[in-house]
Amino acid sequence: MSWTLKINGMLQSFEPSPELSTLGDLLEHLQIEQTAVVAEVDGQIVLRQDFDKTPLRDGQSIELIRFVGGG
Amino acid sequence: MSALVIADRQFQSRLFVGTGKFASASVMAEALRAAGTEMVTVALRRVDIRNPADDMLAAIDRSRYQLLPNTSGARDAAEAVRLARLARAASGIHWIKLEVTPDPYYLLPDGTETLKAAETLVREGFTVLPYIHADPVLAKRLQEVGCAAVMPLASPIGSNQGLRTRDCISIILEQASVPVVVDAGLGAPSHAAEAMEMGADAVLVNTAIATASDPVRMAAAFRQAVEAGRSAYEAGLPPRSTAAQASSPLTGFLRDD
Repeated sequence: MSWTLKINGMLQSFEPSPELSTLGDLLEHLQIEQTAVVAEVDGQIVLRQDFDKTPLRDGQSIELIRFVGGG
Repeated sequence: MSALVIADRQFQSRLFVGTGKFASASVMAEALRAAGTEMVTVALRRVDIRNPADDMLAAIDRSRYQLLPNTSGARDAAEAVRLARLARAASGIHWIKLEVTPDPYYLLPDGTETLKAAETLVREGFTVLPYIHADPVLAKRLQEVGCAAVMPLASPIGSNQGLRTRDCISIILEQASVPVVVDAGLGAPSHAAEAMEMGADAVLVNTAIATASDPVRMAAAFRQAVEAGRSAYEAGLPPRSTAAQASSPLTGFLRDD
């Protein structure tokens, strides 16, 4: 059964697996360089060092945020 | 030129530079060098998960520049506080340029929400630099709740109109006990020099540098203007008068009357 996650406002479906079970796995799956990213899972900030310790669950709302140029 | 101190940090450069709107990361990096800046602003946005490769932060030498994340995009205090917390989590930096701009047309800051967010963020240990209208009363209130500086606007963000709020900024300068950074709308080096001559502690420039035909040369021009303006302020500008005050002696004319 696939899971639906809301990532940056967009619904995405995933097949959960041992290789895709944490936030760290998800970033790798999406090919996002972790060094510059901060995440929010269901409104809670998750620090980079905790990405691999944060399990994915069906229905989560995930924000992946990074710095961009700004004034 | 004397050093600028904000909170616990000392800056030799009084030119802060925003990193938006540059054509490329390499032009930005070169412009930052030419500006001689030590403080650069950045924004937080969602990663484009379809095109995640772009990482502009890599082009900013963090050993050289203090990052000043902003809360741009926030429409109220709650959104600004959320962005500030995320910025701190992402960077480990507790400095924040607090901006709350609910109106997308003029991007004028909401003073009530800014004050509310500032109180929360100061309590949470942030060094808060709020972007405000040139409102001397609000500047005082923000100073009282513990903001490390105030950043009154010269004119709307990115408008290049220059110092349209001059009279109110001079009241803020007269009353503030925290540094005053004139932000937004400075479209030419002469505008920056004018603010610095008035006694502004620093200026923040983004659009005028980033969108110039040659951003690197423009960055250098702003550097010179900021230094000239600051030196003039420290040298003490002479008083103005309505009537002429002769520069040459008024005696010894070659006539007999």
